[in-house]
Amino acid sequence: MAAIAAVFYREGKIRSTNLTFIFWDLFYPLCYMLVFGVGINSALGSPMQSAGVDYNAFFLAGVLGMASFGIASNTAWSFFLDRDNGIFYEMLTYPLSRGEYLLGKVMFNVLIGVFQAGITVTLGRLLLGIRVRWDLLPLLFAGVVVGTAGWFFFYAIFALRTRRNDVFNSVTSIFYFVFLFASSMFYPLAPLPLWFRKVAIFNPITWEIDWLRFTSIGLGNARLVGIEGVAFLLFTLASFAFAVRALQQQE
Amino acid sequence: MLSPALEVENLVKVYHARGREPVRAVDGMSFRVAQGIIFGLLGPNGAGKSTMLRMLTTLSRPTGGAARLLGFDVVKKPLEVRRRIATVLQETAIELFLNVRDNLLTFARFHGIDRDPALRRAGEVMERFHLSAYADGKVQDLSGGFRRRVQVAKTFMVDTPILFLDEFSTGMDPLLKREIMGHLRDEARKSRTIVLTTQILSEAEELCDDILIMNKGKQVAHGDLNALKLLSQGVYEVAMTFDHLPEQIDAELARLSPLRTHVDQNTIEVAFKVEEGRIMEIVTELARNRRVLRVEVNGASLEDVFVELTQGR
Repeated sequence: MAAIAAVFYREGKIRSTNLTFIFWDLFYPLCYMLVFGVGINSALGSPMQSAGVDYNAFFLAGVLGMASFGIASNTAWSFFLDRDNGIFYEMLTYPLSRGEYLLGKVMFNVLIGVFQAGITVTLGRLLLGIRVRWDLLPLLFAGVVVGTAGWFFFYAIFALRTRRNDVFNSVTSIFYFVFLFASSMFYPLAPLPLWFRKVAIFNPITWEIDWLRFTSIGLGNARLVGIEGVAFLLFTLASFAFAVRALQQQE
Repeated sequence: MLSPALEVENLVKVYHARGREPVRAVDGMSFRVAQGIIFGLLGPNGAGKSTMLRMLTTLSRPTGGAARLLGFDVVKKPLEVRRRIATVLQETAIELFLNVRDNLLTFARFHGIDRDPALRRAGEVMERFHLSAYADGKVQDLSGGFRRRVQVAKTFMVDTPILFLDEFSTGMDPLLKREIMGHLRDEARKSRTIVLTTQILSEAEELCDDILIMNKGKQVAHGDLNALKLLSQGVYEVAMTFDHLPEQIDAELARLSPLRTHVDQNTIEVAFKVEEGRIMEIVTELARNRRVLRVEVNGASLEDVFVELTQGR
């Protein structure tokens, strides 16, 4: 635990040197919802026929999922920064296991994700009148924790195997496009073409967002969401195992 | 008798790159390092020194053989090894966005030192390394030499029994380097084992109790300074300063088949491998009909040994 706490402390120290980062991390999803969400909500009218709720409420889970995806990719990108500073390899000689290193690295960002979700949900209720399922809030936070960690481990596999950050940037751009748009993040899947739904249903971000949507506004089928939650957990564990392996192969 | 700090047995590291022949960066090295000494790993560029250090510090997995630090195998017990080492890698490794003090505190935290003792120690270390005036300045604003200084200072925040230093003095000014060499000697006196690589042979000559010279992944010599110098018996260094550099000196020197020659303004520095009696004849020959301001004749230096053992092999 002490080793994980040390990595957590280090991440926190670095992040706190620039408060702009923290501010943006905390308020970015809210800003997204207030601009993009409100714009679409007005254009579509309320409530959306295919979802039965207005777009602001529908998009709340989408924006939380997008934020966890963004935090994860930025955290994974920091491996390149650490490599440039030389500290990456030195840290691998510190008294901690590769798994502890990854867990410590993600924990600070998971904490930011949870704060971010709390702020977004609360202000979503106050500013946009979204009916939040407060009773399910712990499960929402659990979704944010596992979601951020899962995507970080997934991205870490590529960040650790790729030596060039421009290549990694291209990979993340492709991932952003494929994962975010072929999912239930921005729109309900029901009215979409069959091939699209088939792709989306195998997309881990759909599993995460369906969980977040159910635990934030109660929309969705509880049984299906439970299965998706388990699937995402397995995705997270598998990604963690592969990321640890990728880290062990760093020389 | 104390168990060795380091035991290396037939250690091999082979790098495979797509479309290229495998490279044997370390090729069957075996040696032992006693506790509480300064051990120097020397070799020309590409000799495999850094690869060796990377394996000993658990950064790189050996392809074959075994290495143990204080009895712990680097492959089977990497965490136990990491608990006992502090490392300065060849590359500058620094938290650029943190200030000097936080760099030291963060490092201490990784080694399980609590905040208060770490703060006290950071104060002492910054004092020792003349960093107190920069304590609150971000490292990204410091010069390369200062960054290296912070990097070395970090290893003095902990009391790990083994300290690895890969080219520690790169970018340091001579005064500070001298001071740090003094600190390293103090650490060795406190039974800390120091393993260092360097290209600066005078540094190794001055610091190291035990020296291993490697080339192309293999060990070419191992022993203390005196033992190594014996390998270069008959090597003499001659330094002569003239009132002005003789015109034909290059041709004259070439005829004498020196091991190496260096000419700087009016001074020549030449190394010869000859019998003892012959060296004075050479000096007399070079001085004939010339005004010589200074003559110095010395036995083999570590550099001579190094050149003889690694050149052309």
